[in-house]
This record gives sequence, C-alpha cells and structure tokens, in this order.
Amino acid sequence: MGGPAPPPEQTAFLDGIQRYAVEGRFGLVPVVRGYVAAAALRREGDRLRLAEHEAEEMIVVPLERISPGQRQALADTGIPLLDCEAGERAHPVVDVQLAARAVERRREELEVAVATALLRSEPDSWLVVDGGLGGLTHLLGSAPRVLGLIKSHETQFLDGPDLEVAVTLPEGHRSSVFARRVGGRSSVYTWYLRLWSWEDRDLLHGLVRIERPATDAALAEATAVSRWLLAERAPLSAPDGRWDRLLYPIRQVETFLRAQVGGWW
Amino acid sequence: MIRGGNGETIGRVVATEALPAGPHQFHFWTATDTTLGIGAIVRVDADSGRRVYAVVVDGRAYSDLATPLHEVVAAEGDPSGVPAPTRRTEVRLWTAAVLRHEPEEPVQPVPLAEVRLASQADVEMALRMDGYVRCEQPTGIPVGVYRAGGLTAPVSLDADFLLGPESAHLNISGVSGLATKTSAVEFMLASIFQRLPSHKGSVAAVCFNVKGPDLCFLDQPGELTEADRELYAALEIEPRPFDGVQYFAPFKPDGVNLNTLRSHAELVGSVQPLVWGLREVLNYHEVLLNRDDIDAKADAFLDFLADRVVEKEFRDDWGGTHRVRSFADLERLFRSIFDGLEQAGRSDVWRTHHIATIRKVRNRLINISTRCRGLVTDDGSVNDLPFGAFEDRAVYVLDVSGMDQLGQDLVFTRVVSMLREHLERGDLGVEHVVVFVDELNKYAPADGPDTYVRKMLLDISERGRYLGLVLFAAQQFRSQVHRRIVGNAGTMVFGRMDMDELATPGYQVLSPATKIKLATLPKGELMVRHPHFTQPVFVRFPRPAVMSGPAGVRRYPPAADVPFEEAVVRQLAALDRRVSPARIKDSMAGRREEDVRRALLATKRARPDDVVGFFTANLGRTVAREQVRREGSSATIPLRQVEDPYAT
Repeated sequence: MGGPAPPPEQTAFLDGIQRYAVEGRFGLVPVVRGYVAAAALRREGDRLRLAEHEAEEMIVVPLERISPGQRQALADTGIPLLDCEAGERAHPVVDVQLAARAVERRREELEVAVATALLRSEPDSWLVVDGGLGGLTHLLGSAPRVLGLIKSHETQFLDGPDLEVAVTLPEGHRSSVFARRVGGRSSVYTWYLRLWSWEDRDLLHGLVRIERPATDAALAEATAVSRWLLAERAPLSAPDGRWDRLLYPIRQVETFLRAQVGGWW
Repeated sequence: MIRGGNGETIGRVVATEALPAGPHQFHFWTATDTTLGIGAIVRVDADSGRRVYAVVVDGRAYSDLATPLHEVVAAEGDPSGVPAPTRRTEVRLWTAAVLRHEPEEPVQPVPLAEVRLASQADVEMALRMDGYVRCEQPTGIPVGVYRAGGLTAPVSLDADFLLGPESAHLNISGVSGLATKTSAVEFMLASIFQRLPSHKGSVAAVCFNVKGPDLCFLDQPGELTEADRELYAALEIEPRPFDGVQYFAPFKPDGVNLNTLRSHAELVGSVQPLVWGLREVLNYHEVLLNRDDIDAKADAFLDFLADRVVEKEFRDDWGGTHRVRSFADLERLFRSIFDGLEQAGRSDVWRTHHIATIRKVRNRLINISTRCRGLVTDDGSVNDLPFGAFEDRAVYVLDVSGMDQLGQDLVFTRVVSMLREHLERGDLGVEHVVVFVDELNKYAPADGPDTYVRKMLLDISERGRYLGLVLFAAQQFRSQVHRRIVGNAGTMVFGRMDMDELATPGYQVLSPATKIKLATLPKGELMVRHPHFTQPVFVRFPRPAVMSGPAGVRRYPPAADVPFEEAVVRQLAALDRRVSPARIKDSMAGRREEDVRRALLATKRARPDDVVGFFTANLGRTVAREQVRREGSSATIPLRQVEDPYAT
C-alpha cells in the first residue's frame, strides 16, 4: 500500500455530540432536556478553523401523553419542544430511551445540516465524518468526497476467513473494498485499515473501517485515501483512550463541541 | 492581530481552581498570533462596571500534548518523518499583575471577563497618572513612552515623588556599555528642567563626572534620529542641549592645566578650576584621613585647629602671631610650635596636646596638599561652586574623573555637605538640587567600612526629600549598594540587567519573564518603578539631545598639556580672544608660579572685561632689581698703585 502520504489540501472534519437528562416527570411521563450539536473544522495549512457549527437545546416529551396545560407550561420555558415516540404503555425507563433516541435523531439531522452547509460552500473539499455514513444517505449521491471513519466494530460485515484477514491486518495495510447497504436503497463502499500495529495488543487495536459513497472513484482511491489517513495518525489523539483509532482533528471537533456545551455538563 | 488600544477584545480571563483569578493577579488567554508581550498594559471590563487595569508579567504557551512520548509515538521515533498534517491546538496563557481596580473598593478578584489592550487613557488610569497629570496643578515629569500593540502613550512620574517632599531620589541600575544609565539621567534632567511646573519652584543639578568624558559635553547638541524626535514630540519635550551648564575641574598637579577631558581650546574657557584651600578641607578631614589615624587625641587637636586657629588671630606661646589661611601658614605655625618646644626644654606637651599627636596631625594635614595636588592648594586660593547663587535650571558639572578615589571622595563629600547646609538655610539660590552620582556602589557599598561618604549618602537618602536635595544615583549592580540608600529611592529605573544580578534576592518580586525581558532589554528601554505604579512598567526614552562623551571627544579632542606660561596664556585667551600672548608673558616674567596661579584663578573667577589688566593687577607689585654694576666698568676696583718693597 505504501506508507503515509500527505493528505489533500482541502479537508474538513465533522462530528456531533448529544446530551440529555431527565428534568422531571408529568406522572410517569419523563420530561427530557436535550442538547445536540455538530460542527465541522476546516484544515487551513496545518491549523484547524471552525467551518460550520450548529447547536440546539430542546425539551423532549411524548406530546400525546401530556395535557394541553402541561404542554403550555413546557412551551412557556422558551425551549423548543421535540415530540418523541410514545411506547405502547407508559414505562419509566423505556420512555426515557425513546426520548434519547429522538435526541440522537436530531443530532444526526444537525450533522447532515452541517455537512450540507460545508459541502455547499466548499464542494471540492473532503469531509471526514466521525462514524458511518448511514445518517447521511441523502448526501451520498452528491458528495463523493465524504468519508466515514468508524472506530467501533460491533457490527460484523464479514465472516470466516474474510473476517480473519480483516481483523489481523498488519500495520499500514488495508482490506479490499466491499459494499454494504445503508438506509435501504443506498450503498457505500467500505474497507478496513490498520493504523497501528495490533501485535501484543488487542486484535482491534488501531483498526478502523472507512466508508465512502459507492462510486468508481471510491474504489480507485481506496489506497490513496488509506495512505493519507495513515498520515493523520500524527499528532496522536492521546490521552484519549481511543487514540489508536481516533484521528486528532476529529478529537478536536469533539473538544470544541464539549467546550460549547458550557453549563450543560 | 492586536491593534493599538482601540477597545477590541484580545483575550479572556480564565480561572481554574488550580489557577484562580485573585485581586492582584489573574490569567487570560489570547490568540496565538497576538502581538501582546511582557509589559503590555491591559484592561478587563466586567459587566458590573468594574474595571481592572493590569500589566502582563508572564506568558506561557502550551498545546494539548499530554507527554512528549506521544509525539515520539506519533512520529514512530523518527523526528524527520512525515510532518503531522495538523498542528496541535495551542494556548497563549498570560499572567497579569493588577495595577488598579476601578472602583478601588471593595477589593475583589478580577472578573472573568474580556481583556482589552489599554488605550492612552487607560494607561493614565492604570498608572494613576490621572491624579497628577490631569489635575489643576499637574506635577507630571515625562520619563518615556509606553509602547504596545501600536499604542504610544507618554508615561510621567510625579514630581512630588521624584523631587520631594512625598518621596524622592532616583536610582538606576544596568550593565555598563549600553548607554542606558547616563543617557537616562541626562534625559530625565532635561525632562525635569523643561516640565517641572513653576509652582514646584526652581531646580538645578550637580553632576559628578566620575569616569571618562561622560558628562563633559552637556551643552553641545547630540545626534538624534527621526525616531528620537518622534519620542520627544510625544513627550512634549524640546530636544535641545542644556542651556546653563557650568563646568568645574581641578588642576593637574602642575597647577595650571585643568584635569578634564573638556580641554579642547574651544571649550576649556568654560571650565572653571575647582580649587580649595585649608578651610575647605579641614572640615572634611575625616574623608582624607584614614580611620585609624583619627583617634580621640588627634580628633581633639583637629577640632582645636578648626575652632581656634584657622582664619583667626592666634598667638603661640613664644610671642608669635599667626593667621592661618593656607597650608603654608599652617606649616609655619607647626614649625613655631616645634621650635618653641625645643627651645623651652624637654616639654612634650603644648596646650594639653602631646607633641606626638601634633606631629601626627601635622604630617597628615600637610600631606593632603600633596595627595590632592591640583584640587587643594598650599597658598589659600579658592575657587568654588557658586553656593548661594545657584541658578534655576542650571547644571553644575564637577569633572573629577581624573582624580584618585580620595580626591573624588573629598569633592563629593564637601559639595554635597555644602548643598545640604545651604538648602537647610534656604539660601542656595534654588529650591531643589538633583545630585547625580554614577558608580554609587563605590561610594556606598553594601558591605565594607562605614565611611564618611557612605554616612553622608545615607543621610541624604533619608532626609534629602525634605530639603529638596535629591539623589540621582546609578550603578551596575544594585545588590552591591547599601540597602537603605537603595530602599529610600522613590523611583527605581532598570536598564539591561545581568542575569547573575537578577538572581539576587532584591529581584525576587519580579516574574521570571520580566527578568528575562530585563536581561535582554534593548538600548533606550527601561523598567520603571515609581510609588504610583503598583507594578514595574517598561518605557522607551529618546537618546538625550546632548553630545555623548565619546562623540564629544571625537569632535573636541582634549588638548595636550602645555608648559606653564602657555597654559596661562591659553586660559586667559579663552576668556578674551583679543588678549596678546606677548603681553601676558611679559607680565608673568619673573613672577613666582604661585602668584601667577592665584592671579589666573582670580581672573577666571571674575571674568573681567579687561582680562590682561585684571590679571596683571592681581599679580601684585614687583620689587624691581637694581643694577649695581655701572655700564662699561669693571666689577672690581683696582688697587691704587703703590710701591711694594716685597715685590719681585
């Protein structure tokens, strides 16, 4: 594959965060306060600058479960209300999980909004997204230079010898590209890349999976993309525990977003 | 990029539990491409209306790198590998020391608010200059300009705290050779002379030139750059040399050539000889005699001489009458005493004083005129500073650079003592006198013997502010000067400092960054501490508008010593170019050198219209020699021719 290679000149990095907490209850119905944010940092020279940033605060509640008076009381707080799915029957834990899911969806929407805004202003820029491209399906056709970087490997896409090859890749090697379907109709091309040697460590140490919209270019550029991602190992994102898979610029987006949370956490 | 105090936010105060903001110190961060630096003055505005002014005393930059090992790992141990595509996030964290809270009470921690670069008005507020620059009777004396981020703001000292009576004295430290100490004092004197308001009274300066030609050309214009002129304009001071400078220098041992580097023919006429006699010296015998010499018995005899003998009609015990005015008169008295005692038999005591004590005192005193030849005369002639007639805004330069340490001590002690006496009586002619002394560590060392000079300097530093006697002192190492003298200086000025000196306890209050700045301070920059300034402030001052010593020596090379007659002619010619050398030489013919010296001194002192006439008149009458031998005759008278029976 070759060693690390300089990354493209125009590159941006996108990440989002979400926070939620149960603020109270109307009876059994949880009133969840949520905060979501997404940002993209553009690399100019060797410095990261803020390119796009969106943040929202909301009250998440299953509106069908509360009375008009309660709804008005929530509206009077001045914080936007976000409806969430209500379970078949009231459940103090499940209802909170449903609210959290709504917050997560909103965060994905914000990430899409940020990515859209960035690519609209800088259509030739590469955009490295933290995580898979599942949430950005409607962008896939128009944004061939979007790139998802997945650090966790809970979902298994390969079996048997293929899986073994993928998870035992030596440092600086990638797997062959394969396709996976996202969001029903769309599909993405994906491959594994070993950033750091796993020997004497866990099998998944330094292993990331890359996703790109399924285009011929993605196939042709898989090695080139892998090489510049190898270059992104420096600077190290330590002391973050995920330093072996977390790119420093992505960590900086996270750091920025956490700093913006302010008094929330 | 920071601009000049236009109110833009340049940073924000940060505080953590480990690094809290206090009432006297706080921290703030700025962008990494800031032009902010150590010494910059900033302003913090709280929403509550509280304002805090502070000066930056330290700065740090760091990234989010937890340990250098992470860099090693990222580069896989090869520092020459592919450079990281992203630079780590850096922070510029500054530490600022509070100059002033507005309002002053209650004293609270600095608010966690935006930080702005100070404007000119902010600088005045921060340094409390509003109280003495913007008031009905301003007392501001410009010391230099504060510069940061494109802002140039004048900084002034308070005359009440520079010349008294609130506090006084200025002490300046700095390594030699960077033209800071002397230049700064010359500039400060110009600033005082031009900007001291009339309601503060009159002022003069007495400068001791202790080395080289440093202060020998204060009346000559120096070279200034355009930048210097801009600084003068900003400080509202006219760049011009001093108007009224009077130079004094002792003679060389030949008693006629002046012991100064200002001896060029065009300038030497403006140098007056500094000549003292017995009376001028006797009161300061402690300076000249070794400490070991002055036991109680010798001291008593010296007091006897001073009280009963000098300049009084004194009868010895053997019928002789003496009026001792000079060392020569004193020697005659001693001779009478010794002869009288010898004739009287074996008595060893005269007027309760043992002859051994008398001999000892005689030896030391008579020897003074030898040790300080050129300054002290045997014959009683005197030419002194115009005590009682000091002029406002005049500089009196005493060039003692050619004298040995003993002579310098004597000049310094007597002049300062005389200034003090006259100021106490209020009859000096001016209300304030600035005394400039370089190499203070020589005169008032931190350790060593407790000399008369050091005691006197201590006295000035502790009491001078009430009298208007102000000490401007300079030295290379402040730590080597007596603590009480340094401590009593209301205003401290620092040029570039030596790192070893900065490591001494006297500089512990300064931050490491401030010390580094002091150790690398460029020419023309100073750090100033003043009672109104809560923290030291860095200022830039223009080079003085007077000719520097080295430039003066190049422009006016010192004249070589000339023979006695020629030296007299030149000095008189310097008073009046019309005088005829031949006429002067004629008038000197056959005269004793002491008489010529006395006449020359009187002429230089009086500066008469008719120089030759005055000089000749002061030579006194001559006793004409008579020719005893008739022209054409033999000196021997032949015997009458008689017959001599024994002749052969």
